[in-house]
Amino acid sequence: MQWATGPAVPVISVIVALLLGAVFVAATGNDPIAAYAALARGAFGTPYDITETLVSAIPLVLTGLSVAVAFRTGLFNIGAEGQLLVGALAAGAVGARFAELPGPLLMPLVILAGILAGAGYGAIAGVLKAARGVNEVITTIMLNYIVVFVMHWLLQSGPMTAPSALGTPASARIGDGAILPVILPNELVPLSRLHAGILLAALAVAVFWFLLWRTSLGYELRAVGLGARAAAQAGIDPARRMALVMAIAGAFAGLAGMIQVSGVFQRVFDGFSSGYGFDAIAVALLGKNSPLGIVAAALLFGAFAHGGAIMQSNAGISSHLVSIIQALVLFVIAAEAIVRGIAGRSRRGRKPVEAIA
Amino acid sequence: MKRLLAVPILAALTVSACGGTGSGGAQATGGAGTAPAAKAVRIGLVTDVGGLNDKSFNTLANLGRQDAEKDLKVETKVTESKQQADYVPNLTSYAQQGYDLVISVGFLMANSTWKVAKQFPNVKFAIVDGAPADDAGKTENLPNVANLFFAQQEAGYLVGVIAAEMAKAKVGKATNNTVCSMGGIPIPPVDTFIAGYQHALQTISPTTKILNGYSNDFVDQQKGKEVGLRHIDQGCDILFQVAGGSGLGYIQAAKEKGKYAIGVDADQADVAPGVVITSALKRVNKAVYDSIKSVKENTFKSGDTFFNAANEGIGLGKLDPVVPASAKAAADKALADIKSGAIKPKTDIAVK
Amino acid sequence: MTVDMVIGASVLAATLRLAAPILLAALGGVISERAGVVNIALEGSMLVGAFVGIVAAEQTDSIVIGVAAAIIAGTLLAGIHAIAAIHWRSDQIVSGMALNILALGLTSYLNFQLYGTTGTPADVPDLPTVADQSILVWVSLALVPLTHLFLFGTVSGLRLRAVGEHPRAAETVGIGVRRVRYAAVLASGALAGLGGAYLSLSVAHSFTDGMTAGRGFIGLAAVIFGKWSPIGALVAALLFGYGNALSTSLQGATIGDTRVPVQLLGTLPYLLTILAVAGFVGRSRPPAADGVPYEKEGH
Repeated sequence: MQWATGPAVPVISVIVALLLGAVFVAATGNDPIAAYAALARGAFGTPYDITETLVSAIPLVLTGLSVAVAFRTGLFNIGAEGQLLVGALAAGAVGARFAELPGPLLMPLVILAGILAGAGYGAIAGVLKAARGVNEVITTIMLNYIVVFVMHWLLQSGPMTAPSALGTPASARIGDGAILPVILPNELVPLSRLHAGILLAALAVAVFWFLLWRTSLGYELRAVGLGARAAAQAGIDPARRMALVMAIAGAFAGLAGMIQVSGVFQRVFDGFSSGYGFDAIAVALLGKNSPLGIVAAALLFGAFAHGGAIMQSNAGISSHLVSIIQALVLFVIAAEAIVRGIAGRSRRGRKPVEAIA
Repeated sequence: MKRLLAVPILAALTVSACGGTGSGGAQATGGAGTAPAAKAVRIGLVTDVGGLNDKSFNTLANLGRQDAEKDLKVETKVTESKQQADYVPNLTSYAQQGYDLVISVGFLMANSTWKVAKQFPNVKFAIVDGAPADDAGKTENLPNVANLFFAQQEAGYLVGVIAAEMAKAKVGKATNNTVCSMGGIPIPPVDTFIAGYQHALQTISPTTKILNGYSNDFVDQQKGKEVGLRHIDQGCDILFQVAGGSGLGYIQAAKEKGKYAIGVDADQADVAPGVVITSALKRVNKAVYDSIKSVKENTFKSGDTFFNAANEGIGLGKLDPVVPASAKAAADKALADIKSGAIKPKTDIAVK
Repeated sequence: MTVDMVIGASVLAATLRLAAPILLAALGGVISERAGVVNIALEGSMLVGAFVGIVAAEQTDSIVIGVAAAIIAGTLLAGIHAIAAIHWRSDQIVSGMALNILALGLTSYLNFQLYGTTGTPADVPDLPTVADQSILVWVSLALVPLTHLFLFGTVSGLRLRAVGEHPRAAETVGIGVRRVRYAAVLASGALAGLGGAYLSLSVAHSFTDGMTAGRGFIGLAAVIFGKWSPIGALVAALLFGYGNALSTSLQGATIGDTRVPVQLLGTLPYLLTILAVAGFVGRSRPPAADGVPYEKEGH
């Protein structure tokens, strides 16, 4: 497990960024203390808030893993967003089509649907890269947009449209057997939405770690990530691995989509994703493409999601200011050199892809 | 009617003038002189993902909230939802704090509001543009939820009358006898406006050619402008936008090519003076204001409430001087006919 | 489906209008990446350019000042990215993404502060048009041969490319790697800012939150598609613009008896790009030191 410069650095970065943010807040005539109190309250003030932070973090963990597994192989998976949507559509379709099936049959089916659909979508970019050398950045960006429009069609007037009083384009409800149950009993944390997807996410993190550090495939992938020459020296053909890696990456993201459908919405709503796939890029990089780092980064983003809303409703901070503060946090964490300078460290960080774990 | 128009316009001007005084405009001032005896009535507004500055109904809803706060001396707060998964926690947050009324802005929140309203039967809710929908997607009216519906097709019909009269009489630059509209995406809240518009056109001026298109977007102005330029290429003289921010691009196309445009939701005459001849008003601000008032005065009614021609929930926007008196007269008559039930504007699009 | 829906004067004109902002962002991306810095913040530069351009033009009633201010704003944002990427050796992708979020939040916030809910005023001065296209469209087209000339026909261009391929070797022969990279990133911000000015001053005549809608990222894709060359960027931008133009012009078209769903038409530019890239472009090799922070002191 690697932490390039030590766990203290990101923490210091967050503090520095929050201080900068406080300047912004004060400059716009608001009370920084009230603002941050609201942020903290919303992120982890009550058990309910903590569960909300977790609910927001779950898809980010998975999409973060998706982006990270690609980065480890030297590929840039910008397509996590599209793969997530494809996984969601598949899960929603299967979950609704076989709604009468009991849980032990339906749930695995739905999980499989999400994973396979996401894997397939990721594989498109991987195959194009392996066979035609097409840069995966282009294909994944394009594939992201394509699925958004196809989803509009499917849910607004196409085969997955469910006529309902919801007033908004959405698919039919998935069967009860496909719904990820809320895992905290109501007596413990009333109104909690924390669903069993958190267990799937934890499992995925374990799979990620196991795959990359305990299998020969994982070793090969990381070798490929260090450069074609290193891989060739180890006797590996990088091109062949690309389709596989993009499929694995897509699988993680597809699972994220399935979890959102099964655990949060119980159907596919048009436009339900807020860009988890893009936040995932920051999550993966901030987390240094490592399991615990990704979880921590996902939690940070999750904290901002609900905490930010409370900042607005309770402290009256404009939602745009909340975004600015979030951007500052990201920016400062990314600029480790500043913080390293402040913390007096002289060890150089390495770009994740170039590092050997 | 004049007072209602004046208040939002005045409020908008006041807001923009006072814009720089801190808190980004979404903060309730609460503060000075809260009534000592009665507990202050607290209202929470939750918008959908479009953001407060969507130039259509979140903006109008916020306006209604601000007016109510000033006039009725209630304490109000706003939360902008950043993603659909936030609707439930955002609504829950206000309910948990014991707010008197929690308003959901938008049809996207039908199910989320149902969920939260069921968990908090002592808190009142209102949904703009929708009714609570259970998990199966069926409407279920709840005793603590007011469903605020708008007869968009009536507003569409009224502006359709104006367009039809001008096209028929070849008024000003409207010489091609072709009229068009553009929606954001083909969903009922958009299409009902267009349905009413086309109904009026087919009734009053059956020879007028009707075009319709979509920008596939509610934000990107360039996409809306391209659809507009295409329609103008095909001869369109009067362009009716039902596409939020993207629709502003549609209006821009009309401005550049010397044609006319019709706005939607809010009065958009100021977007392009001399180009925007009228707007299909959807008085979301009035609905929000009225519902806050009903809670303050203890006259809250759950279930469906319709905002339509009869109670001025929809209306015709400011008419540009180029609109002839005969067209205005026709629109006034149409309004009266709609109120009396003589005309029932269609809700299904004729020309897709 | 009629012929003029696919190839007609109006479709071609639309192609140019839609390609222009992407082209400008892409040219910026080419310059920056040729020097070895991935400027993910082009989207942010474009957005601040769009906003500042409108505000400046509206306040001073001068379109020239508006465009100039837009360029400066885009450059400033890129400057922050440059400092982070070059000086602080930040992770270029995260810092770029952070700047994009910052740009969105800041412009949205200031937009509301300045113009409230009524929005930017309608009386913003116009940009001149030539042959029914905004002058900025022609400027963007003219910049293609100019950028090409610069990169491949001048000593400065050669130095810039050297810095992107072999920074250590370039440093050895006396080229200031950092200085060149700063200049390149600033230039890319200027171009993106100009693209933003086109969007707000020419296309929309107003500013709405988030109005760039991903054009900066499409521009980055165009850089790769065009194999890091200005002419390639032009081809990519035109193809994309054409796809967008088609998704409008084909509305109402039918295949046999069924109408093509309007939502599926929206996929055209992206489908076309994938097909072109898979069919014709093939392997794209970036500059060798693209995206790798340069450490002057040596390992």
